[in-house]
Amino acid sequence: MSDFYQTDIITTLHRLGTPRLERLEYELEGFTKQRPMTLVLPALYTEFQADAIKGIIEELKKVRYVKEIVLSLGRASDDEFDRAREFMSAIPYDVKILHNEGKRIKEVYATIDRNGLWAGEDGKGRSAWLAYGYVMAAARTDVIALHDCDIVSYSREMLARLCYPVVNPNIDVVFCKGFYSRVTDRMHGRVTRLLITPLIRALQKLVGGHDFLAFLDSFRYPLAGEFCMITDLAWVNRIPWDWGLEVGVLSEVFRNYSPRRVCQVDISDNYEHKHQSLSADDASKGLMRMSVDISKTIFRVLAAEGVVFSENFFKSLEVGYLRLAEDTMVKYEADATLNGLVYDRHEEAKAVEAFVKAIYKASQVLLENPLNTPLIPSWKRVSSAIPGVLDMLRAAVDEDNR
Amino acid sequence: MLPCARRGRKTDKMAEQPEKADIIVGIPSYNNADTIGHVVRAVDAGLTKYFPGKKAVIVNSDGGSSDGTPEAVRSATVDHDTFLISHPAYPVNRISMPYNGIPGKGSAFRAIFQKAVDMQAEACCVVDSDLRSITPEWIELLLTPVAKKGFDFVAPFYSRHKFDGTITNSIVYPMTRALYGKRIRQPIGGEFAFSGALAEFYLKQDVWNTQVARFGIDIWMTTEAVANSFKVCQTFLGAKIHDPKDPASSLSDMLVQVVTTLFDLTEKHSGAWMGVKGSADVPTFGFRYHVGLEPVKVNVEKMLDVFRIGVKELSGIWTDVLGPGDFKEVESISAVPGASFRFPSGLWTRVIYDYATAYYRKKMSSEHLIKSLVPLYLGRTASFVMEVEDKDHDGAEAEIEKLCLEFEDKKSYLINNWR
Amino acid sequence: MENFFELLWQPFRDFWAGLVGFIPNFLAMLIIIAAGFFVAWVVKAVLSKAFSALSFDAWCDRAGLTAMARKANVWSKPSDIMLKVVYWFLAVVFAMIGLTALRLQAIDSLTMQFFTYLPRAFSALLILIIGYVITGFVSRAVLIAAVNAGYRYAKLLAEAVRMLLIVLILAMALEQLQVAPGIVVAAFSIIFGGIVISLAIAFGAGGIEAARKVIEKSSEEKKESDRDIEHL
Repeated sequence: MSDFYQTDIITTLHRLGTPRLERLEYELEGFTKQRPMTLVLPALYTEFQADAIKGIIEELKKVRYVKEIVLSLGRASDDEFDRAREFMSAIPYDVKILHNEGKRIKEVYATIDRNGLWAGEDGKGRSAWLAYGYVMAAARTDVIALHDCDIVSYSREMLARLCYPVVNPNIDVVFCKGFYSRVTDRMHGRVTRLLITPLIRALQKLVGGHDFLAFLDSFRYPLAGEFCMITDLAWVNRIPWDWGLEVGVLSEVFRNYSPRRVCQVDISDNYEHKHQSLSADDASKGLMRMSVDISKTIFRVLAAEGVVFSENFFKSLEVGYLRLAEDTMVKYEADATLNGLVYDRHEEAKAVEAFVKAIYKASQVLLENPLNTPLIPSWKRVSSAIPGVLDMLRAAVDEDNR
Repeated sequence: MLPCARRGRKTDKMAEQPEKADIIVGIPSYNNADTIGHVVRAVDAGLTKYFPGKKAVIVNSDGGSSDGTPEAVRSATVDHDTFLISHPAYPVNRISMPYNGIPGKGSAFRAIFQKAVDMQAEACCVVDSDLRSITPEWIELLLTPVAKKGFDFVAPFYSRHKFDGTITNSIVYPMTRALYGKRIRQPIGGEFAFSGALAEFYLKQDVWNTQVARFGIDIWMTTEAVANSFKVCQTFLGAKIHDPKDPASSLSDMLVQVVTTLFDLTEKHSGAWMGVKGSADVPTFGFRYHVGLEPVKVNVEKMLDVFRIGVKELSGIWTDVLGPGDFKEVESISAVPGASFRFPSGLWTRVIYDYATAYYRKKMSSEHLIKSLVPLYLGRTASFVMEVEDKDHDGAEAEIEKLCLEFEDKKSYLINNWR
Repeated sequence: MENFFELLWQPFRDFWAGLVGFIPNFLAMLIIIAAGFFVAWVVKAVLSKAFSALSFDAWCDRAGLTAMARKANVWSKPSDIMLKVVYWFLAVVFAMIGLTALRLQAIDSLTMQFFTYLPRAFSALLILIIGYVITGFVSRAVLIAAVNAGYRYAKLLAEAVRMLLIVLILAMALEQLQVAPGIVVAAFSIIFGGIVISLAIAFGAGGIEAARKVIEKSSEEKKESDRDIEHL
């Protein structure tokens, strides 16, 4: 992005001029002496078979300001866990791998479960949550940065830009989210472009100026999976374990901290990762399920903030959304034409149709059972119910990594 | 307590007492012979002057004083001619009786409630026996809302030195206000008025073997009145000047008794406070003004010393209660030297809410838990003292108001952790 | 010659007679042991039901016992551990009873010893458990009181108290187990006395100055405290 526009509530840090990575990293090395940092990487074993991770590891080898990496590994057998360890051993600083399917971590989950605190289904949310727990149990660092392991275009500048605002004590930010454009020969990021933004604005029209909607609308890429935060935030946050994760995290930040201490940062000129396929019929698959979960999370947060929903409300919302989404498509089409990008109007229109279905489905779920929330309890809550649970987790991870 | 009880029965018989009374004024005492005469005279004068048509009784509930306190009660004389034009219709009767049970203010109150119920009084009030600043007007200010305006409970409201009443200002007031939504400025005032119905309600509660029987009684009365939707108000009494508290009753004992009661009540009434949002003023009687008060000496260094030792030595317990995040914050503020040291309101609010939750979840023996709060409390108090050092009374009140808003704002934090 | 064969044959006959006499005993032993395993299995099944009904595991979690076991790298469920302990305890007891059925002098006296020792082992275990709880409680009380009194080395003091109590409790448990009781008592007296004396000397010799300062300071404070802050 080349402008310097500030969105409404939160701070936006742009990419201006030609920032030098060496200077950033040099300063980061200084700051992290006071505020040591952990990098959390949620990953599936299948990602170790893809190419993206090799590039990421090559880049991470050169980073000197990260104190430890905590990789939360999902869907891996014991052998695969060992292979992943071998893979990660190339990194010259501390790496801990959380073996989510291992017998010890499973015991930890079972312990939490039988005390009435279900940690949710297997997924990125739960996996990241467990990693936060370990970071707090080990208590070696004050800052947590997190990004996915499927970024094809990864460079360590992303990480540096992402954590700089939180680590630098003069900026004093508790939460920093990455943003970027996702363009190849066409624009990606359909869920953000065509679902979230039009949905938020349609809601704003119906509900009136709500703080949370304004907050969410300030983010240029609310679905970006890259963020950095102070460890305390991980202590009180309750995050969803489903696809509502990113929006859920934002809602918890909104609930616990002033927007003045929240920022977003332009981390990359171009960004690419693997794409989800759109399946309009099967709600439990791919983008469709993601859209349902995201819409549900937004509705749930608003309901908790006191917004009253009804059948009629959702009817007008669907209509309002559809109009805004169609307007948005026209805008993006113009944008694509100017930049000589491919713009498949039909595909985009199909996506919007699917999103309308998703909104309807989410509204039904909410009306049927407004209290059924897929939230993982906060670590604070868990450790007050089960004293020593963090020590238990730490023992499990340390033992697994021996 | 047995000999006392026997003696008590004798005094009861000796004193000629009416079977019924409209108004009862209770004075709990323990070795207050020096001051109680003045209190009794003020009460007597107040009753005859402002409630001349009512049958009134002064009940002294004594904890077995050895310095002749009961005698002082009986011998205190009032010359009605000096302030009354006509003679009163009923003379004010006086009863001095020892109470049974755990020695403490609460047990003394219990005996007063019992008397109020026995005599079917419609309005009652209690005043401390070591008051030096009580005037006959206090009786009017306390009793009128109950006797004439239909209120059930009257809390006092004093003008106090900005450094005084720190447990009230930093824990009890903000927390009860945030929980129950009623802005009662002095929930542990010492002087109260209540209706006969409320006295009967109090008497029925099964709390007389707990901390309520001691220092906890004040907060207990206020909270029960608020949580059970009795009609409450407060009344402005001016300055409260009384004898220094018994130095043997240490800070940590005081804190344990008050905070234990506060947390017990929080647990008991969780159904009542969960749904309350924000807070509202309660009706306030009396004419508000600020009184200049004698200066108070505060040893901030000593408080900070205990706080810093606590950070170093109690790290295990505090991490357990507050969690690593907040403990780290406590640790980092403890490194700030001298005059620039501050204990942020937000952090303090979380500390108190965390302690309330830990108490509710029975993380450790309640006495250990609350005693481990002492250094944190001293840290917060030191910070408050330095913050308002150069401010006037209103400036200090504004700080307290800020803290209260913080407590109300963070209430969802308590609710989340409670469930 | 016949005598000689008789002499050769006799041991075999004796052995056979012994064997015939022994087989019922041996069978009895096998049956008792098998019954033991069966009883243990039944008890285990019943207990397992009871544990899940009482949500024993969740209770252990909340009491922090699970976390304690896991820090020692024991990852089974607390109820499983308990069940295993009970199961094997019963199995061993029955095995001991079964062995007595063999009517062998050496084994008999061994089982006798085992059964007379059992109550002692239990009471020693009980002492250890109760002692552990009390030790934690007392040392924490000391820690908090010392901090609130503004004593700089509160943790050290609390640890010292804990050590003293642990020594005391271990000595009590060992005495109960009758492991070289004379030596235990003597060693305990020496260690305990040593600690007390060294503390006394340390505070006596090293602490005179400090003690004087404390006394001076407190009397000074008394003089200047005219009206202190009121907390209530």
